[in-house]
Amino acid sequence: MSFTTLRASVRSTGVDSGAYYFDHNATTPIASAVASQVPSWLAEWGNPSSIHQVGRGPKALLRQARDRFASLIGAQPLEVVFTSGGSESNNFALKGVFEYYKTKTNALLANALPGGSPRNRYVVSSVEHPSVIRTIEALRERGAEVIYLPVSRSGAIDLESYRRLLDGQTALVSVMAANNETGTIFPIAEMAQMAHEVGALFHSDCVQMLGKIPIDVRKLGVDLATFSGHKFYSLKGVGALFVRRGTNLESLVQGGGQERHRRGGTENVLAIASLGKMSELKDEIAARGEEMKRLRDHLERRVLHEISGVSVTAGESPRLPNTTSLVIKGVDGETLLMNLDMRGFAVSTGAACSSGSPEPSPVLLAMGLSRYEAQSSLRLSIGWETSEQEVNHLVEVLGQVIAHLRKIARQEDPAHVNAR
Amino acid sequence: MSTPDNKALGKSQRPRVLVAMSGGVDSSVAAALLVEQGYDVVGVTMQVWDYTTCDIEEGHGTCCSSVDVDDARSVADRLGIPFYVINCEAKFQAYVIDPFISAYLDGQTPLPCVNCNTYLKFDHLVRKMNELDCDFLATGHYARVVTSESGRKTIETSTDDWKDQTYFLFTMDPKLIPRLMFPIGDLKKPEVRALAEKQGLINARKKDSTGICFVGNQGYDNFIEKHVAKDLLTGGNIRLYPSGEVLVTHQGIHHFTVGQRKGLGVYHPNPLYVIKIDAKTADVWVGDEAHLMSTNVRVGRPHWIDSIEDGERLKVKIRFQHKGSWAVVRKAGKRLTDRLTDKLTGELSDESTDELTVEFEEPVRAVTPGQAAVMYRGSQLVGGGWIL
Repeated sequence: MSFTTLRASVRSTGVDSGAYYFDHNATTPIASAVASQVPSWLAEWGNPSSIHQVGRGPKALLRQARDRFASLIGAQPLEVVFTSGGSESNNFALKGVFEYYKTKTNALLANALPGGSPRNRYVVSSVEHPSVIRTIEALRERGAEVIYLPVSRSGAIDLESYRRLLDGQTALVSVMAANNETGTIFPIAEMAQMAHEVGALFHSDCVQMLGKIPIDVRKLGVDLATFSGHKFYSLKGVGALFVRRGTNLESLVQGGGQERHRRGGTENVLAIASLGKMSELKDEIAARGEEMKRLRDHLERRVLHEISGVSVTAGESPRLPNTTSLVIKGVDGETLLMNLDMRGFAVSTGAACSSGSPEPSPVLLAMGLSRYEAQSSLRLSIGWETSEQEVNHLVEVLGQVIAHLRKIARQEDPAHVNAR
Repeated sequence: MSTPDNKALGKSQRPRVLVAMSGGVDSSVAAALLVEQGYDVVGVTMQVWDYTTCDIEEGHGTCCSSVDVDDARSVADRLGIPFYVINCEAKFQAYVIDPFISAYLDGQTPLPCVNCNTYLKFDHLVRKMNELDCDFLATGHYARVVTSESGRKTIETSTDDWKDQTYFLFTMDPKLIPRLMFPIGDLKKPEVRALAEKQGLINARKKDSTGICFVGNQGYDNFIEKHVAKDLLTGGNIRLYPSGEVLVTHQGIHHFTVGQRKGLGVYHPNPLYVIKIDAKTADVWVGDEAHLMSTNVRVGRPHWIDSIEDGERLKVKIRFQHKGSWAVVRKAGKRLTDRLTDKLTGELSDESTDELTVEFEEPVRAVTPGQAAVMYRGSQLVGGGWIL
């Protein structure tokens, strides 16, 4: 099957947004294979829970999507719970486990456990997505013991100190498969095994890995894994939580028994079908990843060679093939982004911020970058459709803009720049 | 649509203008007029305040709430111009909020809009103007940039006397004036609203912002109490001027401003007004309205947009709503201590430590420390300073 994305051509604002799109970690364009199918899915407007004929079409779409998506990640169909997206899946995993231990095990296990208390320790990395960090902070307020795993400047987690945090009190470990800002890949299989040795559950936010590196939840050995459709060329409003068979967690959304009582609410059939459609491209992912890596490496080589004062954050760690996080000395990332945007290049200074007004990236700060470095950072993320010509254009324009901004900085605050 | 190559080379041939958009009707119409006049317009909103901690009723005539950012964005969408939100929270805290609070603790009545103009709109945004390759910076102020026959540019009062906002612009760097635009300065408020209606801008009927954006409807005293440690807000006495008789006690000087009549909690046969506030003793002096009148006013940290002659007769405004009164402005010279400091540090700055004396021809009412005395030659803004 051929894969061509619809060129983002949002011109409602008159701004040529996304002519050159280098922000695939924020969201991806919708695959033409998906877009062309949307009308046929729209025709299946019935409620998949209905028993009558009208409900059968959408029900079939759901089943098909579940089968394909399960196959994409190496799971059984019944281990896939469709949600509204990555954030819901992360909330579901963390709150679901917490609620389970808090309510279900209190009575059952209180006497059986050492100290008479159920597992209540939650270990998460310090560079997780806000939907993990804020959820875990909410659980802390409700009594959970929370421990953050430090991540070094080079993007590494020290596995020996991690092991020392694990014991019979540990309920859940949550570590992302790959970081959204730096692309750093964490050793999930190894970490999950260590968690299992003490009987703890392991959750991994795999949102950024989908579509970039082949994923097999069995090989990762995780109990819970989060996925999002719109980071994988599908429609927005669909995600999934992989729940390994036999994993106990409470529902986040109570309702009419959908998703085998694990997530109430009439299913977003259209978006789920789009994720199912994309899942058919499982066998393309490895090659797509290779091509993105070639372009990313080309981009980094050119930037480092042609523009002074640029470094790649966590460049030496295992990374997603499509992501590069740059620190550009003497340049404010926010202003750089605006300049590039006005020239038709969509980039990011960190995680996409809903307020539209970025503070220095908490991820980069957590990795030990200074506030100044974090504010001078630029994230570029390549997609399946990015061409070498686009990369070359970007490098050229980036060079011009950086030279322009550095010149102004020298004029306006010479002492400031020299002090760096 | 321009080709990628053209875009990569930079901007279009048209002059590019960075327009500061608050989400209010004035700056929205300013942006719309610039688009209509054919400029390459870029909209920007300064996010100055963290709304999550802000309990101002949103969209009710404030300039900092997220609803207002959304309004600005919506207008930019409508006009088809690029639009960005710039985070200025730290700078706003340091240069606007903190001085605002300490002024109240010093018994003054602060004027935060001037600092916002000095350190954010006409400093931070000037930097952005240059960084974004813009030729001009525009705001929705009611003020005009006028070019004389010799080509010299000056800031003049707006056509709408009632709305004129040049009072807040006296700290302007004169070198910046050639790059400033005030697109609505030739209009009156009803005309601005009519243009907004015509353009279908969503804020055409939005209430005017009155008062101070980050304070909103809660009142200054509540704002101060929320942001200052309790032990700094000690109570004191309300004394009758000039006898010194203690009439009643009060809960803190931040509840008072010079000229205030209401809320004194004093029963007295004659109407009483706050005459002065002594922060050191926490005394609030009240008295007869006659004591509010003054002819000689001391002004510190003057800033000049145009030079004046010592002893020149100028129109001087002592508060935003004041229509201006004739006065002779004299340079009182530098205080000895300041001269010594200057010698030691070797510093030269536009904002000198000179003081001025402003001698009004007729007494003016309720001269309030912390407010500005702003000077005009005809309609030309020449400078001003801070009332001591």
